[in-house]
Amino acid sequence: MLQTLSLMGAGFINALSPINLLAMTLSTALGIVIGCLPGLSAAMGVALLLPMTFSMDASTGLIVLGGIYCGAIFGGSISAILIHTPGTPASAATAIDGYELTKQGKPGKALATSCFASFCGGLLSCISLYFFAPILAQLAMQFKQPEYFWLSIFGLTIIAGVSTKSMLKGLMSGALGLLISTIGMDPMNGVPRFMFGQDSLYEGINVTCALIGLFSMSQALILAEKAIVKRQEAAKVKDKMVLSGKEVKRIMPTIFRGWIIGNIIGILPGAGASIACFMSYNTNKQLSKHPEEFGNGSIEGIAASEAANNAVTGGSLIPMLTLGIPGESVTAILMGGLIIQGLQPGADLFTKYAPMTYTFFAGFVFVQFFMLVIGLLGCKGFARIAKLSDAILIPCIIVLCIVGSFAIRKIFADVVIMMIFGVLGYLVRKFELNNAAIVLALILGPLGEKGLRRSLLLSNGNPAIFFSSPVCWILIALCIFGILSPLLMNSLEKKMSGGAVADVAD
Amino acid sequence: MKKTDVGVVAFMYAICIWFALMNQKLPQDAQIYPKFMIIILASLSTLYLIKILLAAKKEGVTSGFPELFKGFLPKQFFPALGMTLGYLLLLFLIGFYPATAIFMVAVLVFLKIKPVTIAITTVSILLLVFVTFNLILRVTLISGLIPDLLF
Repeated sequence: MLQTLSLMGAGFINALSPINLLAMTLSTALGIVIGCLPGLSAAMGVALLLPMTFSMDASTGLIVLGGIYCGAIFGGSISAILIHTPGTPASAATAIDGYELTKQGKPGKALATSCFASFCGGLLSCISLYFFAPILAQLAMQFKQPEYFWLSIFGLTIIAGVSTKSMLKGLMSGALGLLISTIGMDPMNGVPRFMFGQDSLYEGINVTCALIGLFSMSQALILAEKAIVKRQEAAKVKDKMVLSGKEVKRIMPTIFRGWIIGNIIGILPGAGASIACFMSYNTNKQLSKHPEEFGNGSIEGIAASEAANNAVTGGSLIPMLTLGIPGESVTAILMGGLIIQGLQPGADLFTKYAPMTYTFFAGFVFVQFFMLVIGLLGCKGFARIAKLSDAILIPCIIVLCIVGSFAIRKIFADVVIMMIFGVLGYLVRKFELNNAAIVLALILGPLGEKGLRRSLLLSNGNPAIFFSSPVCWILIALCIFGILSPLLMNSLEKKMSGGAVADVAD
Repeated sequence: MKKTDVGVVAFMYAICIWFALMNQKLPQDAQIYPKFMIIILASLSTLYLIKILLAAKKEGVTSGFPELFKGFLPKQFFPALGMTLGYLLLLFLIGFYPATAIFMVAVLVFLKIKPVTIAITTVSILLLVFVTFNLILRVTLISGLIPDLLF
């Protein structure tokens, strides 16, 4: 306990180094810019900027990625409030009441509410990160090869969860990713597999290049296929961006409920910020003393959505850091950031690399403060950026994709691989398959293969080894939950978004 | 049922066949795990095919393309994709900075951006990459085959 507390303290001190503070400022501001640009997602932004972190110190690199993640989730609310176009799907519920307030001439109040609720939601989510992550990491310490096999199977069941429209298509995407993950050297007997004569594929497909292709390059192609339209002019913020004490008191219970909902949704595999914002919006509407104001410019409506979607950020890091199970696309990319630094998620992060992990946690706390300050000071400027034309974004994204994929190993073949995954990602999105499922499979495939083959080697081919410990049974139960959770999540999302849409119609 | 879904299944089968053919060339021991993955993908694709065929009986067959490619502009998309592929070739031949300058100007002119904005955007992105990658991260970007041969 004392050791953990001293690690936490040291983490805060390390996080306050000048380079980390600079990293937090720039990454949070960049995240907000990405978030407020409609059409660009948090996943795309994190994937695009991932290679920039490879030469940084591990904790600084992770702080940068965390800053972009949190900034992007908050940034989505700026365009949602000022131009009625959510920058990211996570701010879809914010647009309902946020734009209503803007129409009433109070965009400043809407933005201030969004900033404050995002800050509180993100900050409170750090509490659960500090509390739950070490507990889960202790469980991970008991893992041996059979447990790692089940862990990867659990991760793969999440693939069904991250698929929104068709579970079968999600599973097909995952299976395709698993097959692609077999490219490279056989981990047991060193035979080169499906390498097409390319030595650069010896260690398998570079996951970061695949990530950049699937999320960022494919996004540029998606933008390039449609007519370039002039974006709606952002509303001018003429009122003050402040909340009175009475208003803060009024939204605090909403923020608290949003935090709990967002955190639980974040920890659950397959869910995400877009589900959390609607779920919190509807729950808070039911529990509010002024439910009639929801849909008509309620600050509680904005707070409910923004507290929940920012609370997802801390929650979603827990299963990724402790078990190596990214529940959705952004955390899958953050896991790529860990791998770039030569780190593997799991118990080691809380023992061998504990100083780095706690510095990242502390950085994540400070990022919330930076988000509040930068958000309040820069909202008007960011709103202007939201007007930036897709015609300018398209070539810029392509250039950054290329430079990013090359910078990792300085091999031109990686640029070609990124481009192939970019086209694949575009087709995957067009034909309603799932690129997050492919990424999860690429990450978890080698882990599962090693777990399966090493376990069978240890037991002389006896499959009973996979049922030999209580942890195996816990993981089997989680796998069953993983398969059933998408059904629950789909019905929840339909119910919640349906309710919120009904508000607008009313 | 959408015809595009049949295309998805056909694509998955093609991948399975391709990997199965390559897998046969591997030693016996190394074949087992990829074969298992090929069977999983083929089985899931078959399940999906059965699902869409059953749906076809109930709901009929539609193309699927109009919904998936709503608003698709082939005259904009394919030249943009072509320029991106050309950019890759240029990167390989003449290196990062000249290739990027040519690519940026070409795409922005094609997308009808004003000359002043083209100049500002191109210079900004080149500066951003130079400062971030060359100066801060100390990454030497692609130098290009021709400059390598000449200098």
